[in-house]
Amino acid sequence: MLPANFQPSRATDDDPSLLTGRLAALRALLHEKFPAGAVRESGVLRTGCAALDEAEGGLRQGAVTELVGPSSAGALFLAVALRVLAREQAFGALVEAGNSFHPDAAGSSALARLLWVRCGEPRAALKAVDLLLHDGNLRLLVLDLQLTPERELRRIPASTWHRFQRVVETTGMAFVILTPQPMIAGAKTRMAVRQRWTLAAMRERRGALLESWEVQVFARRQFSALADGARQSA
Amino acid sequence: MYAVLLLPEFRLQAARRFRDLDAAAPVAVVAEDGKICACSAAAAAGGVRAGMPGVQGLARCPALQLWPRAGAAEQAVQQALLELADSLSPEIEATGEGCCTLDLRRSGTADWNAWCAAVLARFTALELHGKVGIAPNPDLAFLAARRADSFLVVQAPPSFLAQLAIAEIDPPPHLHALLRDWGVHTLGQFTSLPRGDLADRLGPEMDRLWQRASGQTERLLRLVRPAEEFRESCDFEHALETVEPLLFLLRRFLDQLTLRLATAHRVAARMVLTLPLDDGTAHEHVFSVPAPTGDAEVLLRILHTHLADLRLAAHPAGLRLQIDPVCPDHQQLRFFESPLRDPQRFGETLARLSALVGVENVGVVELADSHRPDAFRLVAPQFHHRANPAGEPAADLAVGLPLRRYRPPLSAAVRVLRQAPAEVSSAAVSGRVVARLGPYRASGAWWESEQWSMEEWDVEIESRGLFRLHQEPSGWFIDGCYDTGLR
Repeated sequence: MLPANFQPSRATDDDPSLLTGRLAALRALLHEKFPAGAVRESGVLRTGCAALDEAEGGLRQGAVTELVGPSSAGALFLAVALRVLAREQAFGALVEAGNSFHPDAAGSSALARLLWVRCGEPRAALKAVDLLLHDGNLRLLVLDLQLTPERELRRIPASTWHRFQRVVETTGMAFVILTPQPMIAGAKTRMAVRQRWTLAAMRERRGALLESWEVQVFARRQFSALADGARQSA
Repeated sequence: MYAVLLLPEFRLQAARRFRDLDAAAPVAVVAEDGKICACSAAAAAGGVRAGMPGVQGLARCPALQLWPRAGAAEQAVQQALLELADSLSPEIEATGEGCCTLDLRRSGTADWNAWCAAVLARFTALELHGKVGIAPNPDLAFLAARRADSFLVVQAPPSFLAQLAIAEIDPPPHLHALLRDWGVHTLGQFTSLPRGDLADRLGPEMDRLWQRASGQTERLLRLVRPAEEFRESCDFEHALETVEPLLFLLRRFLDQLTLRLATAHRVAARMVLTLPLDDGTAHEHVFSVPAPTGDAEVLLRILHTHLADLRLAAHPAGLRLQIDPVCPDHQQLRFFESPLRDPQRFGETLARLSALVGVENVGVVELADSHRPDAFRLVAPQFHHRANPAGEPAADLAVGLPLRRYRPPLSAAVRVLRQAPAEVSSAAVSGRVVARLGPYRASGAWWESEQWSMEEWDVEIESRGLFRLHQEPSGWFIDGCYDTGLR
């Protein structure tokens, strides 16, 4: 319940500064009343992958990161995730809407740090993610939707991602969603991969492949600005 | 001293357990032969007696409610009674239905009133109405329990027995009739007769009766050890249509079962939920509890996760819940760091995930000791037990792009040219093979009936991407993809 001295007023679009000020006051009040729900100081998990680490310093903790790309991008990212778990001596989870993760791809010591949840359908995967986010014990959570049919992805309401973003802010967990196309409205960071590989890549070391991995990383402000620019030009 | 724990009107208590009914309502339990085998005090006041047909009971007491015997519930109540007794003494006897005798000669208890009060409190926690009798021998303790309002401690057997009617010791009918003809009605009057003369005149049967009446019988207990069975059940009068009453009942089941688990120093490792349906079928689900617990709240959340999304073909007409126990796992966490922030909560989350997607779909990968592709199984993670071993960046040892597997592999028609795939055709991917690596041959288990052999190829299919194919005696399959284009 809001305190008696809180005076709501009719802020309009005409005075945005007033609206911003009142929003800040409301946030401060909520943080004071509900300290458990306060946003944690977020850090980053270094990945060892140059393209990712140079842009943001690594995977942002307490934030949703979206990785958009072909199926190879998701598989390579899972290899990165295993390296992160092994290096950080942390535990993580992979929630798959399908069942395509190939566990031969990495050493068993890293696999022992990864909880794998095979859901079979996106609805169950979202529930599993919800449970793991509220649990808050793990450092890294990956939701793989890359092989999910597009019509099923469209059925997921955008509010789901905003809700996940709110929850993950309180946990300090790095939450990465692998998607075939941009769709996570509340993502703080978006990584786009358009690189195509040839059979020659099958003869190279995985580490070398990751070093040459071409990933474009956009922070939230960047893809908001891009969207604003697109709206203005329209 | 010996103690007898007695559940009066045992069948009635079992039948009305978990049913919130007016205690003053006339209720009777009907056995399989249609005759009343137990009735409440209100029913007895209305003229209903055990042994009469149910129809006759209804004629005497029109408000009478007739319930069938609840065999499963009776077993659960008897089991709960034995577990309670087992927690009080190592030497217990299952004397009969709802009756258990304990040898307390080596317990060292001085304040028997306090002991009885504690036992009655535990009966109350188990939602049972019990009585306790304490006496120097088992038969006397049974008489004390039967005569007690809640508990009775017999310190002076002669004065206790003197006032009891002869019928209390269940004499043979012909001896009972003879004593009645003599004007002997109480045990005090009976034991005042000379024992030797009675035995000479009426034989050894009368001698044994006199011995029982004087409270001097000594017998060995037939010791039992209660099995570790933790199950509760209830049949509904009307089939349920919503999940809320089911959860309410499950909560009560779990409260009882976890109490019994705590009594036996056990925790729940597995739960089996069975819902008999009104179409004659049953829904059964097994819940594995990755971090075994005795917390009813946690166990209920696991069941709730499963029931929240459950769609059944018919309405539940009953409820059965069984818990498989294990010894609790005690582990001291490290002083300065713990691998997980809250291991208990993680265990609960794992259990809820198992309830959501099935226990076979949650876990960490344990690779099989085989070269067969995709040979692994998922096992329960031991994150909270795991010390932090030095981890190596595993991907550095790997070569090539990681695979995304199709499970099961897609059947494909492959045109082979110069002993190598040249064109692939399948429901998902078709096209000309423009580059290939292979063959990579593998085989194993040739010494067993499940022998396998295959030939793998990594191929680039024109404008579709990179895929892995394999050929085995039954044909060609697409195992998965390394890289495909954007949608």
